[in-house]
Amino acid sequence: VISLWHFLAVGAALFGIGLVGFLTRRNLITMFLSAELMLQGVVINLLAFGRFHGSLNGQVFGLFVVTVAACEAGLALAMFLMLYRRGKSLDSGDWQSVRESGISPTLDTVPLPEMSAVEILPKLPVAGRLPDQATFQETTRV
Amino acid sequence: MQPALTNPLLQIVLAAILGGAGLYLLLPKPKFRWVSGGIALTLAGIGVLGLFLWTRFGQPMLSSTGDGFDPIASALFWFFATGATSFGIVLVTQRNPARGAIAFAFVIISTCGLFLLLAAPFLMAATIIIYAGAIIVTFLFVLMLSHVKGPSDENDRTREPLLGSLAGFAFVGLLLFTLHLSSPNATPAAANESLDPLLPTSPLDQNDRRLLTNAIRQCDEALAVTDWNGFKEPATQAISSLDSFFAPADRMPVEERTRLSAADPKVSLFRKQTEMLAERKSDVRPLLGALKNETEARKAVQALRNELVVYSGNGKLPARNVANIGFMLYSEHLLAVEMAGTLLLVATIGAVAIARRKGVPA
Repeated sequence: VISLWHFLAVGAALFGIGLVGFLTRRNLITMFLSAELMLQGVVINLLAFGRFHGSLNGQVFGLFVVTVAACEAGLALAMFLMLYRRGKSLDSGDWQSVRESGISPTLDTVPLPEMSAVEILPKLPVAGRLPDQATFQETTRV
Repeated sequence: MQPALTNPLLQIVLAAILGGAGLYLLLPKPKFRWVSGGIALTLAGIGVLGLFLWTRFGQPMLSSTGDGFDPIASALFWFFATGATSFGIVLVTQRNPARGAIAFAFVIISTCGLFLLLAAPFLMAATIIIYAGAIIVTFLFVLMLSHVKGPSDENDRTREPLLGSLAGFAFVGLLLFTLHLSSPNATPAAANESLDPLLPTSPLDQNDRRLLTNAIRQCDEALAVTDWNGFKEPATQAISSLDSFFAPADRMPVEERTRLSAADPKVSLFRKQTEMLAERKSDVRPLLGALKNETEARKAVQALRNELVVYSGNGKLPARNVANIGFMLYSEHLLAVEMAGTLLLVATIGAVAIARRKGVPA
């Protein structure tokens, strides 16, 4: 026997997190994964109601949601590939050019942080035997 | 504990604000990104959400008798629920999309744990298989397409992070508030005592289930045998099991044990199903008599068996998950299955058509 409300709350939280990700992120792949997160929240709701009512219809619906998610994944990834071929970028902000006429574009005003100019090299451990200091200095002097 | 902290409305507002603020701080952007503070705030938000659920609704998994709770299943619920939400936040706020895909894999594993708690082993296996494949494909896409070094527009900027977090968490807060309103128990102490006064539990009890399961088994035995006498004997036994189910010697008949009013939609649905079962039973009975019409009798027994499976699934989920889901799919949801197959085909054709290079023959 389950308490329905706990599972509904988890589903709501997953849906909300996925919603934030889908609304704010600009990488197309991350947006796609956020949409899948929202679908997971929905499936948890369906299964919880099914278990609560003692009916298998919830699980059947969950199966159909998974089917639709698979279709969505195939189509979305095909579209990402096409968009990437045109723009060489996964940034959804690049596709503002297809906006309606009369709407001003959203411009990024704050510059991105620069990469540090000094390349950080790996530190190697000292290998081998240290040369004798006296002979070493003599030979370098010659 | 402070009495103010146990106020559910305050907990909802606090959870939404903490979660939203933490997510705002965590979302990648050139300014105002503070990772450690964001992690602390989101964890606090998840904690307050758990506290709200615990004080308002009690434990998630109750024991089968209804008094007290199941400690192991409850612990598993808290574990998987925390895992799913935390890795979901990691996925949304992670700058590197490859790490985001890995976080999504952990979300899937956690939700599959919840699926098991919800008695859906088939869907759990299906989700792991399908999404594991999907995640690997996504991962390949990430490796193939996103090889940017250093900060980039798509990974280090977000579109309206403040408004987005506000919208998302106002939404979650409203949903939690609706849950708070819709729950029947006013006091948290009563939450574990009687779970569902809104929805009646199934009137079928242990004895009924035993009789129904016997009837299903006897129908199966009858249908497995080709010989008429071997068919007739278990079928007659199934009918007599059903007779003792419909008219028990020692108790009220099943229709009258539904304690709530007949206007309740669930009770009326149950009554309708009971009538259907009685009808199927009366279809079978004359065919087993002197009149020997084997094909008709087999057809009637098969119909009775199908009705029994659906009927005894009413109230508690049947243990044979896969078999019963398959039966449901190809009996009640046949049209939807066909539609889903068509949708998959159309999506495949569409994906091929979209991804094909123009000018290159396929």
